[in-house]
Amino acid sequence: MFSPQATRLRRAARLALGACVLAATRCGDRRAAAAPAAGRPAAITVTDDGGRPVHLAGPARRVVCLIPSATETLVALGAADRLVGRTRYDVAPEVAALPSVGGGLDPSVEAIVALRPDLVLGWENDRRGEVREKLASLGIPVFSLRTEDTVDVFRNLAAIGRLAGRDSAAAAVAASIHHDFDAVRRSVAGRPRPRVFYVVSNDPPMTAGPQTFVAQLVGLAGGQSIFPDVRQSWPTVSMEEIVRRAPDLVVVPRGERSRNEVPGTALAELRARGGWRDVGAVRAGHVVTVDENLVNRPGPHVGEAARALRAVLHPELAAAAAGR
Amino acid sequence: MTVGSAPSRWTLAARLVVLAAVLAAALVGAVRLGATSLSTGAVLRAVAGRGDPTVVTIVRALRLPRAVQAALVGAALAASGATFQALLRNPLADPYVLGVSSGAAAGAVFTIATGLAARSALALPAAAFAGAAGTMLLVLRIAAGVGRALDARVLLLAGVATSSFLVAAVWLALSFADVEAVRSAVFWMMGSHAGATWGSVGALGLCLAPALAALLALARPLNLLAVGEATAAHLGARVERTKLVAFGVATLLAAASVAASGTIGFVGLVVPHAVRLVWGSDHRALLPAAALAGATFLVAADTVARTAAGATELPVGVVTAFVGVPFFVWLLRRPGAA
Repeated sequence: MFSPQATRLRRAARLALGACVLAATRCGDRRAAAAPAAGRPAAITVTDDGGRPVHLAGPARRVVCLIPSATETLVALGAADRLVGRTRYDVAPEVAALPSVGGGLDPSVEAIVALRPDLVLGWENDRRGEVREKLASLGIPVFSLRTEDTVDVFRNLAAIGRLAGRDSAAAAVAASIHHDFDAVRRSVAGRPRPRVFYVVSNDPPMTAGPQTFVAQLVGLAGGQSIFPDVRQSWPTVSMEEIVRRAPDLVVVPRGERSRNEVPGTALAELRARGGWRDVGAVRAGHVVTVDENLVNRPGPHVGEAARALRAVLHPELAAAAAGR
Repeated sequence: MTVGSAPSRWTLAARLVVLAAVLAAALVGAVRLGATSLSTGAVLRAVAGRGDPTVVTIVRALRLPRAVQAALVGAALAASGATFQALLRNPLADPYVLGVSSGAAAGAVFTIATGLAARSALALPAAAFAGAAGTMLLVLRIAAGVGRALDARVLLLAGVATSSFLVAAVWLALSFADVEAVRSAVFWMMGSHAGATWGSVGALGLCLAPALAALLALARPLNLLAVGEATAAHLGARVERTKLVAFGVATLLAAASVAASGTIGFVGLVVPHAVRLVWGSDHRALLPAAALAGATFLVAADTVARTAAGATELPVGVVTAFVGVPFFVWLLRRPGAA
């Protein structure tokens, strides 16, 4: 649960991080700019997550991004000015003014073409590949990303850095994430690990499988999922099984609404639903919320997401830090 | 339903010319409107390959094939629906009545769940078509096993039963599939012309042209069948053969449409009724008029679907129902319509 102050603090921290990254990027670029003699950018070839090599004549200048986490990555790399289109799910102030091309999996191809992109970042998880084939047949390079776990986050970060000619900035962001991860991991070492049910959807109950970044972040932040044995990435599980496995804590990701939400609304909502009120943690009021746009996006803010999860899994640490 | 006094050849020709002109206007509108609206002049230049290359791409590779596909699918569904309504003498019959849509869905979901669809753009439409055609054969086989082949009542029941089974199979497959596969399948099942390419348009056209010609050739026997099989037999129509060919062709039309653009409801059910209400039920006039009206209706509906909510596309089936139902109710309530 984020109080308004905490939200403001978090925003400030995010801005400060962005500024540092931006500064690092600027330096990196100056160094990079000195390297090619004639000033002509070197061609770039990167293999995407579907194994398709994608060739660019130089760093991408006009990017349409169909994946919110990739949009955040470009912004974090100081390349927000390269973005020419976004999806309807991108609402961050840096990109909100850009034209929307619709959903990420069902965008308007026409709207994309009209933006004359020299690169489209799309979903490798798209099971039909219709958008990719269509854009490719029109000569627009599509780089497809598959993001499931935190390893993917780092690989995608490096790939987007290469495509945008921002390798050094990507390295800086990766280092800052590693730093955050290490700090969070150290701070929870040796502490009891609460057993967590992470609510991807509450009706029907759906959670994050062990190979997803969400479950990994929960583990990193000193918790453990009560479903370490499922094989699907985002499995639907039975209410009965949740009751049986009795989590210590139910974590509910909340969207924009949560900013102005009365504390306890998520708990009240779960209690109003049959089944959930039989879960011990819900009965005892052990329901916490995290910012959905932070924790559900496998992008450059995963370090921050790990901290946000630690704040709800180990509130005693936050209290100690505040007291210091 | 009465065959009614046949309109004169000239009245019929004049009606079809008017409908064709309206279709042409709808097509021009479809190509002009979109994320960037274009003037008719810019559209004509782009069709000729001149002007801004981005506009040329948008018009020639995206809007034109999409509009033409919507027209072909609309024509196919309306002609198919009119035929099924005559064959089954049931006003609720539509192109999917023999299980074509659920058969196609089973094929499509199979390729989505197994990952074939992501590997080849041809896999999904091919599997959807195979599923649809296979289902029709199965339904005909079941109906034939009952005794009297092609009995309307038995066919309807066999179609509904097979459909229910296949829908259950689709949901079974989806309950084990992952989130992305479910999402892709749902997008497909909602129906859309977004995937139109000149290849898909060509394939659809190759099916549609001979199929429409065959149905028009059967228009007179269909008139007799719509009155009743006994009458048709008395009047000398070769009932069984006519029915078999008409069933086959109408299902082929529906299967090709579903393979190209998913299940789009309402057009095949209501457009033939609307045309009947206005111009009577002589199939020599009804079939071409329904095909043209269905084409116009779906082109217009797809244009609304593309443009009404900005870059977010609405499912075209939502638009066909939202626009078509009030219009149809108005038609029904006109004095003298019934």
